This record gives sequence, C-alpha cells and structure tokens, in this order.
Amino acid sequence: MSIRKKASISDMIDEYFEDMEKWADQLRETMSERPCWDLKTCAIEPLREITVTPTEVIVTVDLPYAKEETVQVKAVDGSSLEILAEMKKKIRLTELGVTHRKGVIQRFHAWIRIPVTVNMDKMKIQHKKGILEIKLPRKR
Amino acid sequence: MNEEVKIIEIKNVPPRATLIFAFPDVGLVGVIAASHLIDELGLTEVAYVNSNLLPPLIVLHEGLPHSSIRIFAGQDTLLAVSEVPIPTDVIYPIMDALINWAKSKDVKMMISLSGMPIQDRQDVTELKSFAAASNAEALKTAKEKGLEILTEGYMVGPQAVVLQRAAEAGSPAITLLAQCFPNYPDPEAAAEVLKELAKITGLKVNVAKLLEKGEEIRLRARDVMKRTQEEMTKMKKGQEYDIPMYVS
Repeated sequence: MSIRKKASISDMIDEYFEDMEKWADQLRETMSERPCWDLKTCAIEPLREITVTPTEVIVTVDLPYAKEETVQVKAVDGSSLEILAEMKKKIRLTELGVTHRKGVIQRFHAWIRIPVTVNMDKMKIQHKKGILEIKLPRKR
Repeated sequence: MNEEVKIIEIKNVPPRATLIFAFPDVGLVGVIAASHLIDELGLTEVAYVNSNLLPPLIVLHEGLPHSSIRIFAGQDTLLAVSEVPIPTDVIYPIMDALINWAKSKDVKMMISLSGMPIQDRQDVTELKSFAAASNAEALKTAKEKGLEILTEGYMVGPQAVVLQRAAEAGSPAITLLAQCFPNYPDPEAAAEVLKELAKITGLKVNVAKLLEKGEEIRLRARDVMKRTQEEMTKMKKGQEYDIPMYVS
C-alpha cells in the first residue's frame, strides 16, 4: 500500500492546475482545430483569460472594436458564461488577411467554463480599454 | 554555422549594424513593434531562416512563400522577426544560428524587444519599461540612456538566449521590456518599447499611427497571440513571475 505524503495547500493547488493543464491538453488533442470565426453567425471568438484566486475567479476577455453598450455577460447553468458583443463596424475577412474566404465579422461570441464553483449572482463587471473583466466570488 | 539551421541571404547585408530581435512573446510586444518599424523605416527583407527544425510552415505574402523567420535591413539596422512563435524545443538552435550569423556580420549590438506582463494591465495608464544587459558595458550604456534596469528576476524565451550567448561571448546585448498584457496583443506596450529603443539607437519612429490602429492590430494579432500563449505555457514562461532566489 502506498502512503501519500500529506500535501500542503500550495501542493494541492499546483496539482490541481497540473491536472487542469493535462485535461486541456487531452481535450486539444481530441478536437480538430477550427477557425476562430464563424461566417454563419458573423462572430469571432475573443481571446480570454481565467485567473482563479483563493477568493474569486477573474475572467478577462479581449474585445477590440466592441461597442461597450452592447456587451452582454450571461450566466449559464451556474458554471459557464456566455459573452456577446457587437463590433463598432463590420470587418471583412480580407481586412484581417483571410483572402480565401468571403464574409464579414460583426460580433464577438464566447462560451467560458468556470473551473470552480462560484456565486454568479455576485458577478461584478467592468469594461476598460476594450478589455472586459468579470469578477466572480468563489463559493465556500 | 549550425547545419540544421541556415541563414539564407537574398540581398546585401549592411555590416556593423545593430541587430534587433522581435519574436512572439507576452503581449506580442516585439512583433507589433517590429511590424511598425518595418513600415515606418521602409526596411527590406535581406535574409531568412531555413531550417527543418521548424514546423512545415510557410507564410504567403502576395501569393509567394516566405520563411516565418526573416531578417530585414535598413541603414545600420537589422531586424530579425518571426511571424509565428518559435517552438520551445528549437529556440536554442535557431537563436544560436542567428547569433553566429550576427557575429559573421560584425553586428555592433543586439537588442531584443519584448514585454513584461503585469496584473490589471487595463487599469495602468503609464507603462514602465525596463532593460537588462549582457555585460557591464551594455548595462552602463542602458543606464546612461536613462533606461530603468531590471536588476533581479528570471527571463524566459529567445531574448534570454540572446543575453546568455552575448554574455558568454562578451558582446553587448540589451533586452528591452515594456509592461504589457500577458496574453493579449498590446500595441501600447509596443509603442513604449519603441520609445526605449530610440533612446539607445536613435531610431526614432512616430508611434501615433501604431496607437491609432491599436484595435485593428489587436484583432489581427488574435490568432498569433493564441499560438504564442500555447508555446509560452510549454516554455514555462510563468517562471518570470517567480520570486528570484539569487545564490551569492
């Protein structure tokens, strides 16, 4: 029988993130890559970042060209967020250097899974310099 | 020269130039700055990297294939830039080949343009820049030009190899780091790093256009940033956040 050494909180956190990384790698390997834009919905998937602290989850989303008044953040099933935002102008794919497809992009759309349990009702949102920041307190 | 990595020259390369390195990294600071430098100074492609260590990828421009790592030149300036992140496991051979090639061209100084990620970047209006140097002479130059020195810490990525190799050879090299978003393209940080570059080289470029086109650049750079994030994770870029333990 193996006896596991009692882990410190920082070891547990490290282990948790290593597991998450492995899970993400496995997921990436099993999914075929696809473009970040969808011509049917005229949407592009924005870059985003999730930071988990002991007290909250901070999600940031890069939304260049977004009209601030159109940014929507919807809590879905307590563990995911849906982000939607319209752009200030329609952008042709050719303007982004994609010359082999014809179409326009006019909104951002993303689904973001929150990796720990949070209190969606206490969500705080700010939008600054085209960066959307969502703070979600963790449930204890 | 490293046989697995070849630098192919297609035009005359100016001798005794300053060589600037700009590779995808935090905030894509170096690459955005390099792209602006190429446009503003009218730099032309003079050489490129040919290596089967790199992924089987070419960059098409106006219907013709190009290497993803190219060297541009102007008067007294060389600029090595990559349009895609360099895979972690080939950073050493690629950088060694570029540095050895630089020696053969009698390059007088190597300068890497990069970023330094900060928390809550969106709340910061005045970005700071820092410099690190390969030897006492380069450090003195940086200080004399009014640059703030990064005295302690870790550096991860191609710019770390440049400083390391230059230090070994006793050659002057400086890395310029502007505070930036870690994972989002940051044209404002690129503008800052160009201002710092001007202090050392005198290469003054107008950054107004760069700032004006900021949102467009952020959107266009989205996919390169995403690929760069993946590569930065592999090279343990996060180590730059670590508290250094200098063993004296």
